[in-house]
Amino acid sequence: MKKRSIRRLCLVLALVMVLGISGATSAFAAETWTVTCPYAASGVAAVVSNKAAEKSVEYSDSITLVAEAIPGGEATMNTWILDHTANDPNLVFVGEGVLSITALLDPAKLQFDYEDLAYVENLYSSIFVMSADAKLEINNIDDLKAYVAEADEISVATNGATSSEAFLVAALFGSMEAGDKLKLVPYQSAAEAAQAVSKGETDFAVSHQSQILEAYNQGAVTVVCAFDGEDLESEYFGTVEGVGKYGYPYFRNRCPIMAAAGTDEEKIAELKELYDEILADEEVVEWLHETMLLEVDPLTKEELEEHLANVKSIAEEYMDVVVG
Amino acid sequence: MLQYIAPASGLLFTLQNILWINIGVFIGAVFAAIPGLTVVLCVILFLPLTYSLSAIPGMMFLLGIYCAGGYGGSVSAILINTPGTPHAAATMLDGHPLSKAGRTKAALKIALYASTFGGIFSALALLFLGPQVAKLAAQLGTPEYFMVCVFGLTIIAGVSGKSIIRGVIAACLGLLISCIGSDPMTSYDRFTFGIRRLYLGLDVAVCLIGLFALVEIVSRAEQKPDALHMDARKMRDNGTITKEEYKRLVRPTLMGSLIGVMVGIIPGTGASEASWFSYSQAKNMSKHKEEFGNGSVEGIAAAESANNAVTGATLIPLLTLGIPGDGTVAIMLSALMINGLNPGLSLFTTQGDIMYAIMLGLILVNIFMLLQGKILTPIFAKVVSIPQEILTPIIVIFCFAGAYSVNKNYFDVCVALVFCVLAWILRKLDMPPVPILLGLVLGKMTETNFRRALLISNGSPKIFVSSVYCWIFIGLIVLAVGTILRNQIKEKKARAASVSKEE
Repeated sequence: MKKRSIRRLCLVLALVMVLGISGATSAFAAETWTVTCPYAASGVAAVVSNKAAEKSVEYSDSITLVAEAIPGGEATMNTWILDHTANDPNLVFVGEGVLSITALLDPAKLQFDYEDLAYVENLYSSIFVMSADAKLEINNIDDLKAYVAEADEISVATNGATSSEAFLVAALFGSMEAGDKLKLVPYQSAAEAAQAVSKGETDFAVSHQSQILEAYNQGAVTVVCAFDGEDLESEYFGTVEGVGKYGYPYFRNRCPIMAAAGTDEEKIAELKELYDEILADEEVVEWLHETMLLEVDPLTKEELEEHLANVKSIAEEYMDVVVG
Repeated sequence: MLQYIAPASGLLFTLQNILWINIGVFIGAVFAAIPGLTVVLCVILFLPLTYSLSAIPGMMFLLGIYCAGGYGGSVSAILINTPGTPHAAATMLDGHPLSKAGRTKAALKIALYASTFGGIFSALALLFLGPQVAKLAAQLGTPEYFMVCVFGLTIIAGVSGKSIIRGVIAACLGLLISCIGSDPMTSYDRFTFGIRRLYLGLDVAVCLIGLFALVEIVSRAEQKPDALHMDARKMRDNGTITKEEYKRLVRPTLMGSLIGVMVGIIPGTGASEASWFSYSQAKNMSKHKEEFGNGSVEGIAAAESANNAVTGATLIPLLTLGIPGDGTVAIMLSALMINGLNPGLSLFTTQGDIMYAIMLGLILVNIFMLLQGKILTPIFAKVVSIPQEILTPIIVIFCFAGAYSVNKNYFDVCVALVFCVLAWILRKLDMPPVPILLGLVLGKMTETNFRRALLISNGSPKIFVSSVYCWIFIGLIVLAVGTILRNQIKEKKARAASVSKEE
């Protein structure tokens, strides 16, 4: 091989390498804010994060949001906290479950909490629904009560063992005084959990509404109840009873976006403004409602803290029922 | 279906779509050829480009990256004995020896043709059998997934080299390493020794760099300079594949494509598992077993057809049930949903033209991958003729940059170095590194499905024989083990016969 060709080839290789590294480290844009979602790339939070990233280009010349998903829940959060300090151009989605369970589960090892983070904005709220294997013919909470009274064991598929879904299930069956019958079967994502009940692997599953819709349309599952204070009026599922109506504990799933603690307040305000503009976009509102079956739900810091306190009390019930 | 083909073709065959397909294919092939830069990473990085595009060109671009990434990983596996992506590891076993024998272009061509065939095969499966296959896949549950993993572990015997015992020990080491991180069932941490970065576990792509790429560099450092330069006669590589070789490629390519489709429809599995299954089966069924590991054309074809046949198959549960088959496809689901498309069977009637355009597009992507591959192959092949003193530092830089880019931290570079030391020690002990990789790839999935199945059955192992599908997999496992044992006995007898002849 001629020396000139070698030089050319080396030049091409070097160019490819530089492009690869630059791309991989997102070195091109100084004002790029990477938003890490610690859940499955196919999950609701990751998809919403991608939509917000898409819209950020329309609403800001100075900030571009880039979405990434690193599944792992609290483990991903743990690494994120380790990697990022104040004013790093990085944000993270923090499910209420992650913030509630870390303090209870293993505080010595999972070393982060709310104080390590600075609140930016909450984008949406999701009403989780509990679905049942269609063969069980459970369509509402009265049917569920009757089933619980008869059953020796109640198996419920959830997204992981320490997720918001798991807390809600434990709180529900704990309140029904059937905590000792409960068997939580953890799956890698809410979509997998929804599939499990449609296959008959478990009796019930808790998931976002959009994740159970296909199984419901195919007649493989029934939707038993919604984890909300009032009935859920859905154009897809009809009227679904809210557990709050019966006095059972509940919360809506929220996934606030946070920066590392100590990040400049001005920057946080700028990011919040950007997210608020995105959330005010009619197309986003419609998309969240129609495609994702979610609601736009910006929160103040106080509202978020109130929400977290409620979830924490439910997580404590989870600890009693599941961990013992 | 037919009523959608015409409008779908109209949507698909536009200049914009063809342009995006080609950009995606080029980026995917080059990116995946660099060790550590995985297809998932590539799709994440370039996803923002699709924000301004509508559903079809956006999906075409991502599919271009996805499919070409399947092929691109094989390029570095063949050229520098380092798989660009984890699923090209099986290709490396025969691709690199064939390249070392002076047939680099031929090895690259076989990988390209097999990849294209596998990709088109799975695209056709998606187009014609998608909903039916999805219904079958929906019947497979946790115990069946576990059986698939056990079947996968039988491959260890095929890649253990001279000693199965050593292979099993190495695989156990891989399985053990896969336990590092938070427990998939309870979230408690295991084997982290207080190192917080280990909570997320180890990334297979990073381990791969240490196990195969860096250790290769170290072993080169141990050789005399003269031994590093390739024989000039071997450089005259015209890339010819003989008629007889083409004939030999038919069976492993077909079987690999079928295996790729079957594995791809099972969520959680992916191209890595498919390529190993296929490689192992091709070896068991081949009349030229002795060539495997020494540059077998069948080995390359089996691995490459399988890992690209996964591409269409993973889209089956995605488009029909909304369940992504692997990590890359999960990001594509996100791209679809951003465009207001919530995948599921109902979408085939409400947005049939878009769905069929995507499925037809997959065939087009594979055709363009073949065309670009034909142009790129001679350029790629020139890499082997770069003098080692220039090439080696470039590889090292690629390796470190690749390891760093996986999670953008230096800890992963250290992990790659640790795995390099481990692989070097194992080499000295004559232990094969491939079973470690298998253990790493299959470990978490095997454990999770085993424990979940027992949780569902309240600890009863009867769950593993509870369905027809479980029995089918048991049959396959027995068949695989039987074939391995028979081959072992045959080899022993042959060795004994040759020893007695010599005496």
